[in-house]
Amino acid sequence: MIRGTAATFGDHVSADVVLPARHSFLPPEGMAENVLMDLSVEANRKVRAHSIVVAGEAFGYGTGRESPARALRAAGVKAVIAKSFSRLFFRNAINNGILVIQCSELCALPVSDGDEISVDLKAGRIEWKGRSFPFPPVSDVVGNIIGAGSLIDYGRQLLAGAS
Amino acid sequence: MGQTLAEKILARTSGRNRVAIGEIIEVTPDFSYSHDYAAWAIDAFEKMGATRVHRADRIGICFDHGIPPNSSKDANSLKRVRDFARKHGFQWFYEAGTGVAHQVMVEKGLIVPGSLTVASDSHTTSGGAVGALALAVGETEIGFLWATGKLWFRVPQTRRMTLTGAFRRGVYAKDLMLVIAKELGVLGALYEILEYGGDGAARLSVSERFTLCNMATEVGGKGGVFPYDAVTAAYMEGRAQFPFEPVVSDADAAYCGEMRFDLSTIDPMVALPGREDSGVPVNEVEGTEVQQIFIGSCTNARADDLEIAANVLRGKKVHSNIRLLVTPASRQSELDALKNGDIETLVEAGATIMPAGCGVCAGTHQGVLADGERCLSTSNRNMPGRMGNRNAEIYLCSPATAAASAITGRITDPRLV
Repeated sequence: MIRGTAATFGDHVSADVVLPARHSFLPPEGMAENVLMDLSVEANRKVRAHSIVVAGEAFGYGTGRESPARALRAAGVKAVIAKSFSRLFFRNAINNGILVIQCSELCALPVSDGDEISVDLKAGRIEWKGRSFPFPPVSDVVGNIIGAGSLIDYGRQLLAGAS
Repeated sequence: MGQTLAEKILARTSGRNRVAIGEIIEVTPDFSYSHDYAAWAIDAFEKMGATRVHRADRIGICFDHGIPPNSSKDANSLKRVRDFARKHGFQWFYEAGTGVAHQVMVEKGLIVPGSLTVASDSHTTSGGAVGALALAVGETEIGFLWATGKLWFRVPQTRRMTLTGAFRRGVYAKDLMLVIAKELGVLGALYEILEYGGDGAARLSVSERFTLCNMATEVGGKGGVFPYDAVTAAYMEGRAQFPFEPVVSDADAAYCGEMRFDLSTIDPMVALPGREDSGVPVNEVEGTEVQQIFIGSCTNARADDLEIAANVLRGKKVHSNIRLLVTPASRQSELDALKNGDIETLVEAGATIMPAGCGVCAGTHQGVLADGERCLSTSNRNMPGRMGNRNAEIYLCSPATAAASAITGRITDPRLV
């Protein structure tokens, strides 16, 4: 179960806006200071204050770099719920330990910054203001990666188990 | 219900009889490769505590982004990858200058029909030109793959792209691609495989197919693919490094949609600066002054592309306001164009030939634009800053339009020169 508060965004937030290439090599704190800064100072503030991003269509489109996903993680984001995602962002987020959920139903509603949201991974359910929104249960692989912390952590576990 | 090519390849590589769309599965890819950014894969590999690389005989490296390196930092990074590849016995290592990785891996017969190929670069989709399912992944994932031999994928839907007829004079695969991008938008094929077919597709060369699979990523696609046919068979003859079994979709496979294009109705196209889906017929932007023209990238710089440009420029001179930069997609393309005299024609006209690789397209190295300048390019991306300067503009077009415009110094319809 993941619990947090919402940071809301609209459609078409590109991965280049989440973190431009020029900040790709910053340490985690530096990434957190710059994440979504190209959108606005307010966007940066709220994504650092709230751990569940709620967005519209095509979140993370554009570049296939991994650093935007690393920057969201550095800012404390645990899950991104959106109407749709670019596929490389989808992969990069999960591999960096961020749960990615497609849920058009919730994202069409007037979710406000700071609203409490909980995600029940096992049941495949999002709770918001007493309402429940189903999503297809995540696969074992994705659950294992998120559970381990990231793809690198998952890889480390697999290799330790094998040896 | 039958299965699509993509479903069949993902089923085989996950050890299953069939897979369901949307399902996440674990697969063992047949081949993987990377380029300069393999440095990040090494980071991931080492952080996982891995010591042994899986299937080094199925791993490729080809340096292409920042080559030859222009700083000691970049040189050290390439050296680290080179040393790692040597230590772990990567069988398919290509030095800087061999070409763009996507082109080199197809050309060397390492991406074979029916295979699942993965690489850490968004234009990996190019491998669909020879009937492979070629998918892009992140850099960490390549390290994970080296360490474990496995990767996860979500099973994609497939959209049928039916091509009929033939291009008219002066019109090429790139023009069709810019029409497709205009119709789909930059995210219109999100998660989808674009599967080309029809009599118009059957007539296209592997190089033309490459252009159409390469830019599948510019419409949000997971991949682009041309089913194996006589053209693929002829191309693979004597080239394939691995045994392969061609895979095609079943007649009753389920598609998420179909788009139809009559090639004889396509005009030369130019994508306006900022977005790849902003294409217009060339006559709408004719006369726009440009300062740099780039014939290069994995999209359009193979021997046939250089020949198209040479045929336009033969006996002509590049306009004095223009810098024409030509970066062959690979050393083999360059050699073919040297032997048949096309490079001589281009150089006589006033072109600058640069080392085979990504060149100007990646925006990190060589050919960076000045503020306020415009570049007309045969490459695949034109968002602000792509060529290293946010204050410059990039237009996309075919090699013919690029060459015609090099003569006049303005965007020019190739049918008029």
